[in-house]
Amino acid sequence: MLRLSSLLIGCLLLALTAHGDDRVNWEITPRITAPGQPFRLQIQVDSDVPLGGAQNVGRDIRPPRGMALRLSGQILRPDSTEATLNFSGVAPEQEGEYVIPSFNLRFPRKMISVPEIKLIVSKTVAFIRTNQARAELSIPDRTFYVGELIRGSINMRGGEQESVVASFGLESVAEGFTFGVTSDRQPLPAEMGQGLQTSFELTPIREGLNEVTINGIMLIQSGSTSVFNNAGRDRPFTFRRRIAVEHVPKKGRPADWSGAIGKFTAEPQQASNEKPEVGEPIRLRAVLTGSGNLDRIVPPEIMSSEVWDVLPATERRRHAEEQRFFVYTLVPRLPGKQKTPEIRFSSFDPETKQFSRLVFASAEVTVTGNAPAKVDLVTRDPAAPIGSDAGLKLSGLAKPDPASGSLFSRHSMIEPLAASKLFWSSNGLALLLIVAATGVILIASYLASHPQIMIHWRAKRGLQRAIRQVTRARGNSPAFAKIATGGLKLGCAAILGAETEAMTQSDILRVLPEAKRETLDALFNAADGNKFGFGTTIRTANQEETLILLHLVRDLL
Amino acid sequence: MKAFPLYILMIVATLGAAEPDAPSAGEKAYAKGDFAGAVESWQEEARHHGINPGLLAALGNAEWKLGRKGRAMVCWERSLLLDPHNAVALAGIRHGQNAGGVERPGATWTETYASVAGADLWLLVATLSFWAALGAVLLPRIRRQPAGEWNQRLRVTALTLLALCIPGLWGARSLAHRAVIRKTEISLRLTPTQLGEATQAVNEGDVVRTGRPFNGHIRVTTSDGKTGWLRAGEIEPVWGGGLPADLDQKAAP
Repeated sequence: MLRLSSLLIGCLLLALTAHGDDRVNWEITPRITAPGQPFRLQIQVDSDVPLGGAQNVGRDIRPPRGMALRLSGQILRPDSTEATLNFSGVAPEQEGEYVIPSFNLRFPRKMISVPEIKLIVSKTVAFIRTNQARAELSIPDRTFYVGELIRGSINMRGGEQESVVASFGLESVAEGFTFGVTSDRQPLPAEMGQGLQTSFELTPIREGLNEVTINGIMLIQSGSTSVFNNAGRDRPFTFRRRIAVEHVPKKGRPADWSGAIGKFTAEPQQASNEKPEVGEPIRLRAVLTGSGNLDRIVPPEIMSSEVWDVLPATERRRHAEEQRFFVYTLVPRLPGKQKTPEIRFSSFDPETKQFSRLVFASAEVTVTGNAPAKVDLVTRDPAAPIGSDAGLKLSGLAKPDPASGSLFSRHSMIEPLAASKLFWSSNGLALLLIVAATGVILIASYLASHPQIMIHWRAKRGLQRAIRQVTRARGNSPAFAKIATGGLKLGCAAILGAETEAMTQSDILRVLPEAKRETLDALFNAADGNKFGFGTTIRTANQEETLILLHLVRDLL
Repeated sequence: MKAFPLYILMIVATLGAAEPDAPSAGEKAYAKGDFAGAVESWQEEARHHGINPGLLAALGNAEWKLGRKGRAMVCWERSLLLDPHNAVALAGIRHGQNAGGVERPGATWTETYASVAGADLWLLVATLSFWAALGAVLLPRIRRQPAGEWNQRLRVTALTLLALCIPGLWGARSLAHRAVIRKTEISLRLTPTQLGEATQAVNEGDVVRTGRPFNGHIRVTTSDGKTGWLRAGEIEPVWGGGLPADLDQKAAP
C-alpha cells in the first residue's frame, strides 16, 4: 500500500510539473505484476490545444531490458484537447522496479513530454502462466560459427484462458547477424498445444559475443472479458539473447573448405548422357543433401584433365529444399570407358566441431568416337635444337619431388644466416677481442720502448704523495725534511735519468737552478744529519721554500 | 672362400634391384588430383619433419592447382631461397608468370650473381675469407716471423674470395627484401594511411620489393617500378617463415 500510494503521489506530482498547460497521467494495470505477466499502460494527455493523433510513438519509447511494450492504439476524438494512448506489454522475467524513461509524444500541433513510468515486478503476485498466451524463443544453446545457418522459431502458445489467433510485426535488431523469416504463422505441432509458430534463420556475420533482439506482436483471444484481462487484444513479445560466435577453427581445416557448415551427404554423380561421343558435352550433376548453410557454399571446382574438358557450371545456384545441385558441363576428349572426375568437398560440423570430407562418387561413362590427333600440350622452346636436351618446358608445372634435398636441408623456418643474432654476436665478439688484444699489445710495446714515460709517471705519483705528507708534517722538522728530500730526490732522479738514492744537493740544483743552496743544505742536514751526529732543525721559511720546490719539480715532470 | 665373391654379388644385386622409395601420401593425392589432400599431407609432413626445397616446391604446385596464387608463389620463392636451382619451383614461377599473370620484378645483376649460391653460403664464405685473411695477417706478427709463401697465398686467396662475395651478399640482401602479395583486389596506396589514395591495382601472387615500414604499412615497389604503400597484413615476406602464413582467415562466402 505504501508503494502504491507513493507511486500515485509521484505520478500526480510529475503530471503537475510536466508542463504548465499540459497534464499527463498514466496508469499501469495491474500496478504490480508477476514476472512475465502481461500488463496494460494507459497514458492520458490533457492539453490546451486540439491534439489529434500521436505520431511515431514506438520510435521514442525505450522500454527497459526484458520488457515488451507496444502501442496498441489511441482513442481519437475530433477537435479534442484530450488524448488517450493504450499500450500493451509483458513484464520482465526478473523481479525489481523497472523504469520506462521519459519520452515525448508528438502530436500534429504540439510535443508533450511524458514523465518516467515505473513498473514493479514481484514474485509475490499470484499469476498462473499457463492461463495466458505466451511466446517462447526456440534456438540452440551453443557456440555458433561465422557463416553458419541457425534455424530458430518463435512458438506463440495459447493458454488455458487465451488462444493465439494471429501475429504480426516480427522484426529483429541484430548487428552481427542476417535475419530472415522462413515460415510465418504456421500452426504449432500438436504436442505443444494451441498456437502459432514462426520460423526464422539467423546467420552470424562476425565473431564475438553478439546480441540478438527479436520483437513481435501476437493477437490473442480470450473466452471471458473483464476490465483486467486483455481479451481480443494484441500482446507484444521481446527476446534478447546473447550469442557467442567464433570463426571456424583453423586447426584441421582442409585446404579446400569453402565455407560449408552443417551436416551433409554427397550423392553419386549423375551424367545426362552415359554414351556421349568424343567432343559431345554432357552435364554432370552432383547433389548435396543435408542441413546447413547450403546457399552459402561455393561450388567445388573440377579441374580439366587429359580425359575431360570442364566448362564452368551454368546452373550453380539451383537448389531445392535441403538440397543443393552443382551442375558441370564436361566434354570428353578420349574414347572408351571413362569415369567422370571425382568431386571433393569439405564441411564443418558445428555439433562435433570436426571437419569432414565428402566425395561425390564418379559416374561411369562410355565415350564413343575417335580420339583427336595427340597434341603435345607442353610448350617447348621452339629455338631448341631437335632431339637435344634443351627442350625445356616454357609453361606448365613440373612434377613435384618433395623428397629432393631432404637429407641435408631440413628447416623449421627459412631465415637467412644474416638474421641470426648468434652469428653476428659471435663474430663481432671475436673481432672485438682481436682489436682489444692488438690495442693492448701496441700500448705495451710503446711503453716498453719508452721507459721514461713510466718513470716520470711513477715519480709524479711519488711527488704528489710526498707533497701531501709534507703538508701534514710541517710541525715535525725531521719528518718534514726526510719526506721533502725523498720527494726532491725522486723527482730530480726521474728528470736526470739517475738513481734516486744517488741524488745530492748539486743534482737538485742542476734541475732547479733557482733553488738556494743554503735551503737545500739545511734540508739535507735535517734529514740525514742524525746519521752523522749533527742533526739540525729546519726553519719555517725554509719549509715554505721546500714546498715550492716540490711543486716545481712535480710540474717539471 | 669361394662363396665370398658370390655373397658380395648377391648384396650388390639386391641393392641394385631395390625399389625406389614408395610415393608419399601427398604425392599419391597429388597424382589423383586431390590437391587439397596433397596440401594437407605435405603441410603435416613439413610440421613434423621440417621443410626442404622440394617439399616447398611441391606444396606450391598443389596450392597453385587449388587456385591460391599467393600461397603458391610464397612456397616457390622460399624453395628458391633454399635451393636456387630447384627445377619444380623455377617451372612453377615461370608458369605463374606465363599462364597465371603473376608479376615478378626482374633480377638485377647482383641478384642473378647471388642466385648462383644461397644467401647463407655467400655469408659463410665471406666470413671464412675474412677470418682467414685476418689470421694470415696477424699470425706472422704474433710469431714475430716474416710472412711465408703459403701465408701470402692464403692472404691473396682469402681477400679475392671476400671481394667476390661482396656482390653476392648485396644480391642476397636485395633478394631478401621481397614479398608476395597475399590479398586479392588491393591497390597500392599513395600514403601509409587507412584512407590512403589508391594509385595502382596489384594482384594476389605478385612479387614486390619491400622498403621501409611505417604506420602499419610497408613501402613496396612493383615489377614495373611503381612505388606505394601496402598494409603489412596484405603481403608476406619471402624470408622469415616456413609454410605460408594463414593470412586468409576464411570469412563466410
